[in-house]
Amino acid sequence: MSRPRKDPRAARAAHLVAGGARPRFDLAALPAATGRPRRDPRAEERLALVPGTLRRRLDRAQRLATVPAAAPTLAAPVEAAPRHVVITEPAFLVALVPDAPGGRLSAHDRQLFGAARLLADEGGGAVLAFVEQPGEELGPAGADRVLALPVSGYDPETKALALNAALAALDLRHVLFPESAEGGDLARRLAALSGEPFFAGAESLSPKAVTRAARGRRVEQRRAPPRLLSLAPDAVAPHAGSLHEALPVEFAFPQPAGGAILSAQFIPADPAKVSLAEADFVVSAGNGVSDLEAFRALVTALGATPGASRMLCDAGLMPRSAQVGASGTVLDARVYVALGIAGAPQHLQGVTKCEQVIAVNTDLHAAMIERAGLAIVADAQKVMPALLALLQQERAS
Amino acid sequence: MKIAVLLSAGRHSVSGRPAPVPVELQALRLAVDLGAEVTGLHAGPELGPLNDALGHGLAHLIHLRGDGAADPVPALAAALAAGGYDLILAGRAGQGGEDSGLLPYTLARALGRPILADAAALGPGEAPGTLAIEQALARGARRRLVVRLPALVTVHPAAPPPLPFAFAGMRRGRVEIREVETREGLPAPAPEIEERAYRPRPKLIAKAAAGASALERLRAATEAASGGGRLLVDPAPEEAAREILAHLRVLGLRAGR
Repeated sequence: MSRPRKDPRAARAAHLVAGGARPRFDLAALPAATGRPRRDPRAEERLALVPGTLRRRLDRAQRLATVPAAAPTLAAPVEAAPRHVVITEPAFLVALVPDAPGGRLSAHDRQLFGAARLLADEGGGAVLAFVEQPGEELGPAGADRVLALPVSGYDPETKALALNAALAALDLRHVLFPESAEGGDLARRLAALSGEPFFAGAESLSPKAVTRAARGRRVEQRRAPPRLLSLAPDAVAPHAGSLHEALPVEFAFPQPAGGAILSAQFIPADPAKVSLAEADFVVSAGNGVSDLEAFRALVTALGATPGASRMLCDAGLMPRSAQVGASGTVLDARVYVALGIAGAPQHLQGVTKCEQVIAVNTDLHAAMIERAGLAIVADAQKVMPALLALLQQERAS
Repeated sequence: MKIAVLLSAGRHSVSGRPAPVPVELQALRLAVDLGAEVTGLHAGPELGPLNDALGHGLAHLIHLRGDGAADPVPALAAALAAGGYDLILAGRAGQGGEDSGLLPYTLARALGRPILADAAALGPGEAPGTLAIEQALARGARRRLVVRLPALVTVHPAAPPPLPFAFAGMRRGRVEIREVETREGLPAPAPEIEERAYRPRPKLIAKAAAGASALERLRAATEAASGGGRLLVDPAPEEAAREILAHLRVLGLRAGR
């Protein structure tokens, strides 16, 4: 303890009243300040007292004092939001090349916009997005300028050449790529073409420094953000809060020359073979399903990947690799159909990332019914043959 | 057809001991399955565990021995240009070094060859002098490409597993050592890069409000962001089936594709 030791004689001597023949002490007088402020519990209580209640109520967290001030500020942004930001004279440009599969921004692309805004807003710069198909969602995502790339089909080399021309002509301070299969490929092509320093798979990003893992994830490399960067998924939060203008810009790209790729053909995944973690459409059975033959036939007819709840896997009716949930597989699917699954919290954790859930269950109060976008309170055992019959009917006609 | 497989000095992902990079052994298998004359190439101070690659089906390994700190691209480019290979296979990224995956691209640039990423399967093209590549995409999808040779192709971990190790194959394999003179004063590591021990960073997750109770955090983790779905109570099975199919159609999943 570093508290000074109390000396009772000195404390008593402090109360000594000067003058008089006999020593006199005024113990009621306030003692001299010792440096440690004294608590006043009554004053604190008076402050914490909530006014206007019949019963005496104390709010020791002092949250009440902020509530009247917060209420008008809560109302104001509703009128003001979303804030439009127009950057007419950007100090510099931060470019980014989102994957945008099918013209729609992915979650990783939105994080890329967040990173670009972080770098641009530091010094009054603007964000320039290179996209194949300009869409309406680029402005809210955080793009100030939009430049359409003259690319059709799968031709990464032409895309890299076009980006290289833009990199040389425009004053781009940084060019950001997502560290995905396509974005990472494009970033490395551009780095090899231009000879600019490249930072692969940044795991944290600020205007001062970026970091990445190296040497088998044993070492963290750190430096000021170089010109070419690729961003690992879930490293930076997506941009939110302001609307940007997404102004279309013109640029004279070089004429594309024929590459080495003679033909390219997309082959969709076979849902029966794809693993549950990367499946796009999953149909799951739970304890409310007893006819698993019909379930398998339905999964095949729908072209989905089969899943199951813990109950069925524990009973040995479905393989453990099909289990959905915290102790099984956490899905990344877009659409999830739950047949006869009530929705234990551990199971719901497995479907957190699913955009759309369809549930069929006999219990109206099941958690899965609450979670679902289309909830049907019915016996899954009866709905499955009806679905199969309808699918067969559709195929016949 | 002559195929070169680039082999790098990797480290095991768990133990950290020197080991071949698995995806490069998968590339070796793809090359052997094509029925071509396969040569392995490694540039670095010593071969170490890359002798194992001989046991995985490689007959001839060229070791370009030089300084470990020097840039391996000029030596590799010279050896590849002299060898006259139709196809060069490489892994996606090294494991245990810089791990940026940039080397195949700079090499392709130096050789003036086209590069294609993420091959999961290789086959001869219909026309002579072409190669059919199955490129692995996200979510198990594939893209079938036909390219004109010569080319450089990087291999995806979704490719078939490496050939089983055979000790006799390792003893039989031939290692050819070529000395590479290193030029003085060549690329020192960039001074602006600072290295420190790796610290895993927390990934972004959907956050409940600060100070929320455990129940609220669980709700944020399990419930849909957009509530308010449609609820049908006790419909006829046929009606329920129609509703489900109509909903799937709206979501863009046409049944029985």
